[in-house]
Amino acid sequence: MQKTLLDVKDLTIKFRTDDGVVEAVNKVSLSVQEGETLGIVGETGAGKTTTALGIMGLVDSPPGKIEGGSILLDDTDLLKLGEEAVRKLRGKEISMIFQDPMTSLNPVFTVVEQIAEVIVNHQQLGEKEAEQKAIEMLELVRIPAERAYEYPHQFSGGMKQRVVIAIALACNPRLLIADEPTTALDVTIQAQVLELMKDLKTKSKTSMIMITHDLGVVSEICDKVAIMYAGEIVESGSLEDIFENPLHPYTNGLFGSIPDIDKEVEFLSPIEGLVPDPSDLPSGCKFHPRCKYAQHLCRVEDPSFREYSPGHFTKCFVHEGKLSVKEVKKYE
Amino acid sequence: MAQINTTLPTAKQRQKHLKKRSLWADAWLRLRKNKSAVVGMIMLATILLVVYTSPLYLDYDNDVVKPNLSQTLKFPAEGKLLGADELGRDVLARILWGGRISITIGIMAMLLSSIIGCTLGALSGYYGGKTDGIIMRSLDVFMAIPSLLLMITLVSVMKPTLTNLIIALAVGSVPSVSRMVRAQVLYIKGQEFIEAIRAQGASDFRIIVMHILPNAISPLISQFVMEIAGLILAISGLSFIGLGVQPPDPEWGAMLSSGREHIRDVWHVTAFPGLALVLTVVSLTLVGDGLRDALDPRMKR
Repeated sequence: MQKTLLDVKDLTIKFRTDDGVVEAVNKVSLSVQEGETLGIVGETGAGKTTTALGIMGLVDSPPGKIEGGSILLDDTDLLKLGEEAVRKLRGKEISMIFQDPMTSLNPVFTVVEQIAEVIVNHQQLGEKEAEQKAIEMLELVRIPAERAYEYPHQFSGGMKQRVVIAIALACNPRLLIADEPTTALDVTIQAQVLELMKDLKTKSKTSMIMITHDLGVVSEICDKVAIMYAGEIVESGSLEDIFENPLHPYTNGLFGSIPDIDKEVEFLSPIEGLVPDPSDLPSGCKFHPRCKYAQHLCRVEDPSFREYSPGHFTKCFVHEGKLSVKEVKKYE
Repeated sequence: MAQINTTLPTAKQRQKHLKKRSLWADAWLRLRKNKSAVVGMIMLATILLVVYTSPLYLDYDNDVVKPNLSQTLKFPAEGKLLGADELGRDVLARILWGGRISITIGIMAMLLSSIIGCTLGALSGYYGGKTDGIIMRSLDVFMAIPSLLLMITLVSVMKPTLTNLIIALAVGSVPSVSRMVRAQVLYIKGQEFIEAIRAQGASDFRIIVMHILPNAISPLISQFVMEIAGLILAISGLSFIGLGVQPPDPEWGAMLSSGREHIRDVWHVTAFPGLALVLTVVSLTLVGDGLRDALDPRMKR
C-alpha cells in the first residue's frame, strides 16, 4: 500500500466581498498518494485554482478565508501551522506552477538567477553552487545552458513554462501542483511540456495535482481524477473509473461535449446553461438546474458523496436510487 | 589534425563563459548608446567637476564673500568673466561656490527622502490594509500642507543650518515619493510573478527587496534624479525668500534674490545664476530619462 502524502478533508473556502459571501470551495476532500498524479477537472469558476491556493496557503486574506477542514501533508495539518512554517514548506515540499508562463517570471532577473533564488531560499547553498545547480535544472528541462543568463522576455512561451517547471522542481518537492500548465501554450508545445512533466515526475517520484479543463491532458498524465463543479467534487475515482464508467450526469455531460472521431454525430451535446454564480448557489444539488435527470428531490436536498465501487465516489440521487430514473446514460 | 575533445565541459566550466554582464553593467552599455543621456551625463559631469573642485582654486574669504565696492555691479569683462554683484563680488566665483552647496543639499535631501519614501511606500503598498491606512493617512497630513510652506515652517522652527535644510527638504518631499513608490509597488505586487514567487516560499522581506523594488526602480530612478532638480529649485526658492542658505554664503537662489533689485539695469547678476540652475536641472533630467530606459532589460536591443 502506498503512503498517503496529501489528505485534504472538508476544505471550505469563502470570500467575503461587498456583494456577499462567495462560496468558492465547499467541503472538498481529496487525497494524493506518493508518486501519484491527481487530475482536478472542471469548468472555469468551479473552484479548482482556489482549492490549489488553499493547499498552498496562498488564499488572499482578506477577502478570502479558509472556513474549515484540514489539509494533512504527511501527518501535519497545514492549516494549524503558522504562516512562517507554511512559507518554509512552499517551494520545498509543495511547489506550484501557474497557468501563464508569460507573467510568472520576474522580468528584471535572468532565468538562472530566478532558479537559483528558490534554491538559496530553501537549501544551505552559496550563490555559486546554487547557480550551478540552477544551470543543471535548466538542462534537465532541456534548455541549453548557453541561454541561462538571458532574461525571460528573450524566451518563447514554451521555454518560459519549462523555466517555471525548473523553478518548481529545483528543490525536489514532494508535491507539485500544476494549475493549467499547458492552457496558455499552443498545441505542439503543450505536448512537449506534458511529455517533459511526465518524464520528470517519474524520475523524481514527485506526486502531482494537475488542474485542467482538458480531459485529453488528464488521460495523458493522471492516475486519479476528481471532477469539480461549483466548488464541490461531484465525482472522483481512478482514471479508468472516470473515463470508462462515469457516474455523475455532469461527468457524462463533459464527455458528451468532446468530439469523438469514431462517432458520426450531427451536433455535439454540450451541457446546457452556465456554472452557477458562486455567491448565489442553487439549493439542493448544485447541478440540478442544468441536470437532465433532476427531479423535485434534487431541488431540496443535497445528495451525499458515496462510494459506489472501491475508490469511485460520486454524489447523485440517481445512484442512491431515490429518483424514478435509475440510470445515467453514458457520455450524454 | 587537431585533436577533438569529446568530453563535454561541465556546468561549472561553462558557467565562466556564460556569465554575462550584470544588470548595472548592461544598463551602462545601453545608457552610452542614448545620445541625449550622454549629453546630459557630460553636462552633469562637467558641472559636478567644476563645482566640487572650486575650493581648490577659489579662496572663500577673498574670492567669494569679500565685498569690493569699487567693482559694484560691474559688467562681464576680462578678469571678471561673469561680472560682479551689488557688493562687487565675482559672480562666477559665487556661482561655483554656491553650486557646491545647492547640489550637495539637493542630493542629500533626495537620498534621505527616497530612503524614507521607499520604506514607507513599499510597506504600505505591499501590506495594504491597516498598515497602508496608517502610513498613508499620516502622510496625507503632510500632503495637505503645501510642501514649500512645510519646508518654510520647518526651517524657521529649526535653525537654517545645512543639516536642517536637508531634513526640511526631505520631509517636504517624502509624501510624494512615498505615494510614487506605493503606486509602483501596488502595480508590481498585483502581477502574477509575485504570486509565483510567494509559491516558492520566499519571505515578505525578500519579495519586497529582491523582487518588487528592482522592478519598481527603473521607473522610479529617473524620478529620483529629477527630484534632485526639484530640490535644488526648492532650496533656491527658500534662499530666495531668505530662509535657505544664509548670507554671506552664496547660493543660486540667494543670488537670484539679491540680484532681483537690479534686474532692470544689470542683467548678469540674475541671468548667470539662473542659467547655472537651468543647466543643472536640464542635465539631471536628461540623465534621469536615460536611466529609466537603460534600467529596463526589456528595452535591450
